[in-house]
Amino acid sequence: MRSKLLTFTQFTLLLSSLSACHGILDELYDKPSDDVVLKEGQLYVDASSWTDWYYLDLTDVKKGFVRKEIPTEAADAQHYASPPPSEAGGLYTYWYDVFNEGLSKHEFRSFTSTKTQADPESWHIAVHRNNVRTNGGAVYETSYTSMDDLPESSKAFADATFTEDEWNELDVWTVQTQMLQGLIGNQGIPINPVLSSWLKVSLPPIPPTFTLNNHVFIVRFEDGTYAAFQLENYQSPSGTKCCLTINYKYPY
Amino acid sequence: MRYSMLYILLMGIVSVCHAQTGDSTFYLNDVVVTGTRTLKLLKDTPIQTRLITSADIEKADATNVEDLLQQEMPGVEFSYAMNQQKHLNFSGFGGQSILFLVDGERLAGETLDDVDFTRLNMANVARIEIVKGAASALYGSNAGGGVINLITKEQSEPWTLNLNGRLARHNERRFGGTYGVKGLWLQNRLSVDHTSTDNFHVSNAANPATQVVSTIYGDRTWNIKDRLVFTPTEGVKLIGRTGFFYREMVRTADTPERYRDFNAGLRGIWDINESDNLEVAYTFDQYDKSDYYKISHWDVRDYSNVQNTFRSVFNHYWNTGSILTAGADFMHDYLVHMNLKGHTESQNSFDAFVQYDWLINTQWELVSALRYDYFSDHKDSQVTPKLSARYKLLDNLNLRFGYGMGFRAPSLKERYYNFDMAGIWIVNGNPDLKSELSHNFNVSADYIKRHYNFTLSAYYNNVHNKIATGIPHLTPLTSSLLPLTSDLYLDYVNLDNYSVYGGDMTVQARWDNGISARLSYAYTNERLPKDKDGNTVNNQYIPARHHSLTARIDWDHQFTRHYGLLLSLNGRALSEVKNVEYINYYDISEGTTTVKYPAYTLWKLSATQRIGHAFKLTLAADNLLNYKPKYHYFNSPMTDGINLMLGLSVDIDKLL
Repeated sequence: MRSKLLTFTQFTLLLSSLSACHGILDELYDKPSDDVVLKEGQLYVDASSWTDWYYLDLTDVKKGFVRKEIPTEAADAQHYASPPPSEAGGLYTYWYDVFNEGLSKHEFRSFTSTKTQADPESWHIAVHRNNVRTNGGAVYETSYTSMDDLPESSKAFADATFTEDEWNELDVWTVQTQMLQGLIGNQGIPINPVLSSWLKVSLPPIPPTFTLNNHVFIVRFEDGTYAAFQLENYQSPSGTKCCLTINYKYPY
Repeated sequence: MRYSMLYILLMGIVSVCHAQTGDSTFYLNDVVVTGTRTLKLLKDTPIQTRLITSADIEKADATNVEDLLQQEMPGVEFSYAMNQQKHLNFSGFGGQSILFLVDGERLAGETLDDVDFTRLNMANVARIEIVKGAASALYGSNAGGGVINLITKEQSEPWTLNLNGRLARHNERRFGGTYGVKGLWLQNRLSVDHTSTDNFHVSNAANPATQVVSTIYGDRTWNIKDRLVFTPTEGVKLIGRTGFFYREMVRTADTPERYRDFNAGLRGIWDINESDNLEVAYTFDQYDKSDYYKISHWDVRDYSNVQNTFRSVFNHYWNTGSILTAGADFMHDYLVHMNLKGHTESQNSFDAFVQYDWLINTQWELVSALRYDYFSDHKDSQVTPKLSARYKLLDNLNLRFGYGMGFRAPSLKERYYNFDMAGIWIVNGNPDLKSELSHNFNVSADYIKRHYNFTLSAYYNNVHNKIATGIPHLTPLTSSLLPLTSDLYLDYVNLDNYSVYGGDMTVQARWDNGISARLSYAYTNERLPKDKDGNTVNNQYIPARHHSLTARIDWDHQFTRHYGLLLSLNGRALSEVKNVEYINYYDISEGTTTVKYPAYTLWKLSATQRIGHAFKLTLAADNLLNYKPKYHYFNSPMTDGINLMLGLSVDIDKLL
């Protein structure tokens, strides 16, 4: 009896010494900070905001990306139930079949005229989440998946077909307040469909899925200069989507 | 202790003689522990307990607890909550009120109020005991709607080695192995199981009434468990266990979601003398969620729940068969989440209980209990009484009555989370929440006549201050003319009285020609919750269906010494259900609409061939009628038609 009591007491003491109040195996996980370490020829921008464009002047990359808010105040305090007769700046609210067939099925719901987007004096590209604009440029998607493999100069793409920015009122998602109803307010603005394909957003499900296209894109600007871009990563170290790490070469 | 156990077993044998073959046929002489935490024969337990045996599990060919419960029990429905997280509705109660246990130990971690059901695979499960309602005094907060206890197998042979696998559509694969050894003082069972299923798409017709699912996400799991039993001396038993669980789900190709669990436990059982025994136990359970960023190779944890639990239970057995049980639990609950202010919260909880199981005479048995719960966060505390009675009206007819008061303190999540649901709305924790208090009444009868067993039960539950998300509300608009980000909030609130009542009925038959059958029906009626002002609130989950039915018929025949066949047909049918939902969550003045979710039925046909002593080959057709939902709503069966399955199980030890 006494030996059993001793065995059992020892066992109880063993139990009480075992607890690990805050858990174990922390080392399995990474604890990245949002301090981004960039390599030569890389740019980083947190473009996760729904309501801002971030502009880059390739002749002054040290300045970094410059933020400009998407205008959302109604120019005439009016909402319109039908789209404007021609491409007009403003917010276009569309219903998307976000829970079933996806973004390809959509219906126009309303239009709110706003002030036009204010651009900086000098810029080459601007990014908003997964969308990219060029300042009068045109883009060609190569089959290269590494900047190192690119031909020496952009002359190799002289005969390629470049695509200019196109009017868009479906993709620059700006207002997300009624997303559960499938309603999203988009900025009506030209974007470059080729360069914007470096990051594809799909719905359903909610939250959306992101697919990175790691091809290198060649951009021809109005002044005849060329640049090469490749999206390296679209997440911040702590996982925020649309924080873009971009490989670039300019002039190319 | 030994005399008391002998008394229980003798009583069982006497009953067996009276009931002829019925008791053993329907496992009524199997021992259950969950209701009273003492060993009771199923037919004698005063607290109504539903038993799913290892034979049932084998026939169901279920991978995890979700597959099994849906096949075996009416009134059980697993559906999706937002983001395709599994939600259980068990006779009108959700995950926060249904306590899942493994060998009596609770599980850490939750998603949208439910534990990770994929952790609960069926490998090594000897039986599952289900106690509905708040009848048991031994499980406090989170057990107001019932307790589901998975009991693992003991090693009985000197050594065993089983390897098994199953293949099905959508690249569904299940592989597992269990190795067991038993010596004079030691026994050990190690099991390793792996499952995987691909994502697949389902189609929906146009114009669904509410949200539908178009991609079903598969997953990949690993489940490793080891259980060691050491008997150093007669009357002392020490049990150690450890487990690791891993699940990966790929919703976004570049960012798979990972779920891990690390658990361990030590339990000592000491038969102090012939009348007394003492159990002490320590349990550690850590459930983590992380996202793996494939591009940067970062595995970033955003959730961790760590529970450290100590427990002691003392039993005193009188030779009259009456039992006094007293015990206490202490738990430290630690939660890490990015949505918590400061990222961490913790609390201690303590409970003590005393239960007297009074075997008045051969006809009457009465279990009365008192329980005290204390939670350090907000110092919530409550004493709850329980009372259960069994009356043996005839030798083969048992009647049971029960009353239990249930208590649930708000979880750390319900008090402190501020969770932005993908910009759709923000779920707000509410530090001022009060505890839920419930009253549960139940009555049941079971009757055995030769090859037949009838069970009938009814229950009524009333919950005060039920905790749920309330009416959506908008914050004042931002400075801009148009609100740009989500300003729609859902606060956790205490609702007005919530009640659910229902009943179920089961008929089982088992004939000498190898045919057995079971038909179970459940009726559930939830009074949909309203807030304190009588307003309809956002019902976070789809309510229980009023009518549900499960059925099974088996034919088992051993043709020769080396060949046997088990044919099994089982199915379930669920009635339609209506839910009141807002027309426009952003403008609730538009009112509500009633969304109708359709009825459905699913059937599974399987054939298991026993070849020699070592091989079992199973062919099955799940969703035999090739049912394809027109709309894959959150509570629709997530199927795209018939699923053929092929399984093989080999007992290596029987080959040698």
